[in-house]
Amino acid sequence: MISVVRSRFVTAALASSSPWKYLAGFLPNFSTSAEAAEAPSKKALLDLSEVEKILSDVKAGDVRVIPVRDQCDYTDYMVVASGRSSWHVRNIADALIHKVKQKQRGSDRLILPSVEGSEAGKWIVVDSGTIIVHALDEKARAYYNLESLWTKEASEKVPCLDLENALVKSRRRNNSKKPMKSVLTA
Amino acid sequence: MAARFLSKSSSGSSLLGALGTSLLGVGSVARQTTSNLTYSDIFFQQQRTFIQMGTKLKVVDNSGAKRVMCIQALKSKKGAKLGDIIIGSVKEAQPRGKVKKGDVVYGVVVRAAMQRGRCDGSHVRFDDNAVVLVNKQGEPIGTRVFGPVPHELRKKKHVKILALAEHIA
Repeated sequence: MISVVRSRFVTAALASSSPWKYLAGFLPNFSTSAEAAEAPSKKALLDLSEVEKILSDVKAGDVRVIPVRDQCDYTDYMVVASGRSSWHVRNIADALIHKVKQKQRGSDRLILPSVEGSEAGKWIVVDSGTIIVHALDEKARAYYNLESLWTKEASEKVPCLDLENALVKSRRRNNSKKPMKSVLTA
Repeated sequence: MAARFLSKSSSGSSLLGALGTSLLGVGSVARQTTSNLTYSDIFFQQQRTFIQMGTKLKVVDNSGAKRVMCIQALKSKKGAKLGDIIIGSVKEAQPRGKVKKGDVVYGVVVRAAMQRGRCDGSHVRFDDNAVVLVNKQGEPIGTRVFGPVPHELRKKKHVKILALAEHIA
């Protein structure tokens, strides 16, 4: 059902660097992640190890970390976790925010990751720049099937080679009792 | 599923300068431009405007709907731009889909013919108007999004649609 749409993107001014890292300098929400990408000495909003620790503390089910640095240019890691109920999913998101607040205690300005979908607890996204955490409940996880998007994406480009084999003309099956007329007999 | 191209693609290529546009194939193309319009470009180009009541949009996810007519643009009197949410009525749908014809649905505009300015001064403009169907809480009804989607969705808190998209413009 996926239609093949050949789309092209033409950039005017930002051909050299990926546009998202350039824009990140302007948006205050993501300035720390931009600095973290260029100067690894500065910490990101949340490290991957801290995220994993929090998710195991909250007992989130089936945590998967997918590095998408080569596929997506807007983020580096996708973390997918599932919760047993919508309350649990909300709890996972709240725990991550709480950890970020704890890390930044003492500084005058808090930079919080953006949280989407928290009023309906089916799919909550915590976007902290280089790491995006998707907290879904189990039904939503089966429905949206996010891992197949990023793990299969590298291999999706390869099967195009088989298209030539797929379009090979095959002989029709002859279900009638009459024998097939051969082309060679005049 | 042919996308409408801009009426004067040659003047579009002069705008983009050294990049060289040759619109090959079917598909919607995103264009980023700097705002240096010459007199002839203003004369030839269509003035694209907001998505308002009555606008027909293409649906680019696998929720089952094909075309949706906007009946209300939330959050603006003038109309919806890229990244805004609209309320629409499904005008055409696939036979076995999650929505059927005549349903009133919410949608997020992911491609708009009207250009939208980015914070570095460039603009983004697509060839068609496209929408992704969403429920009232903001969760996408479909599971995959086709075609390019712009970065603006991230700032507008539609990261879910970005995550489902196959190509980010």
